[in-house]
Amino acid sequence: MSRPAHRRPEYHKINKDLFVLTYGALVAQLCKDYEKDEDVNKYLDKMGYGIGTRLVEDFLARSCVRRCHSYSEITDIIAQVAFKMYLGITPSVTCNNSSRTEFSLILDKNPLVEFVEELPAGRSSLSYCNLLCGIIRGALEMVHLAADVTFLQDRLKGDRVTEIGITFLRKLDEKKYRRKK
Amino acid sequence: MSRQANRGTESKKMSSELFTLTYGALVTQLCKDYENDEDVNKQLDKMGYNIGVRLIEDFLARSNVGRCHDFRETADVIAKVAFKMYLGITPSVTNWSPAGDEFSLILENNPLVDFVELPDNHSSLIYSNLLCGVLRGALEMVQMAVEAKFVQDTLKGDGVTEIRMRFIRRIEDNLPAGEE
Repeated sequence: MSRPAHRRPEYHKINKDLFVLTYGALVAQLCKDYEKDEDVNKYLDKMGYGIGTRLVEDFLARSCVRRCHSYSEITDIIAQVAFKMYLGITPSVTCNNSSRTEFSLILDKNPLVEFVEELPAGRSSLSYCNLLCGIIRGALEMVHLAADVTFLQDRLKGDRVTEIGITFLRKLDEKKYRRKK
Repeated sequence: MSRQANRGTESKKMSSELFTLTYGALVTQLCKDYENDEDVNKQLDKMGYNIGVRLIEDFLARSNVGRCHDFRETADVIAKVAFKMYLGITPSVTNWSPAGDEFSLILENNPLVDFVELPDNHSSLIYSNLLCGVLRGALEMVQMAVEAKFVQDTLKGDGVTEIRMRFIRRIEDNLPAGEE
């Protein structure tokens, strides 16, 4: 049902609340559709992937970021530019290994959960914001970077912070790259 | 080995593209779940209603609008404040009925449909129907029963998108004790 945005739409800055509540409706709908948390999480990730592959075009066009030379730079841009642009927050970045391929985004505030007091009963393994992991993964893939992206900590599950882990894998060979559906 | 990114204060604003794409994912999921467009439309309206009854509190808190004295004021607030706040657009308010109980919101551009074409097998889908539910739910919380429906839609080839709003009646039951 989508086409590439060949015409540049106007850039709209909006208040987040309608988006946040719509996101909640999406998660609720998936919880009706799938009994197991793992399936909801997987589906959120898959949807996010599809979104990320499109969102990255918009991001690159608007942010004018220059080519990055390290995974560390890329992670900084995700945190300081992309999250800022699309969610109005700036997570902090930590590097988790000496080869500088594993990073964490620490979300002190997470607007997606503003109206969520706790996970629904029987949904203790739900990664409520898993759409974000898919978005990051899909966006990175479109710039030929393979990464595993997953929630390492989640305030909704009782952790102190919400932490997204990004592990960069090999650089995708541009010639062999096929876009996954 | 950690360093803090330059963390600014959280902004209440975001760019609309993520919302647009997430909304698309929601509609796509509903189209998988329900066989016919009418059921999807109904579900979007219902979801929108539940969103509207929550959203109105934040709207009233943030916007500082006072009580509206008539439906015309309400229309202006919806178009110039609410739509601006949550969708970044300002529809025009037109086509008032002689009795002043119906009007149209004309959206020249609708950010929800920025990346969208309706497939041929979904010609009855009211893609943005969530908005009608949001309007209905929000207004119910301020004691107004209304009907909201799309009468024109750029996704269906119309020149503009038009939402027709009709005032049904004032709801008296929900007034908390102590209010007039």
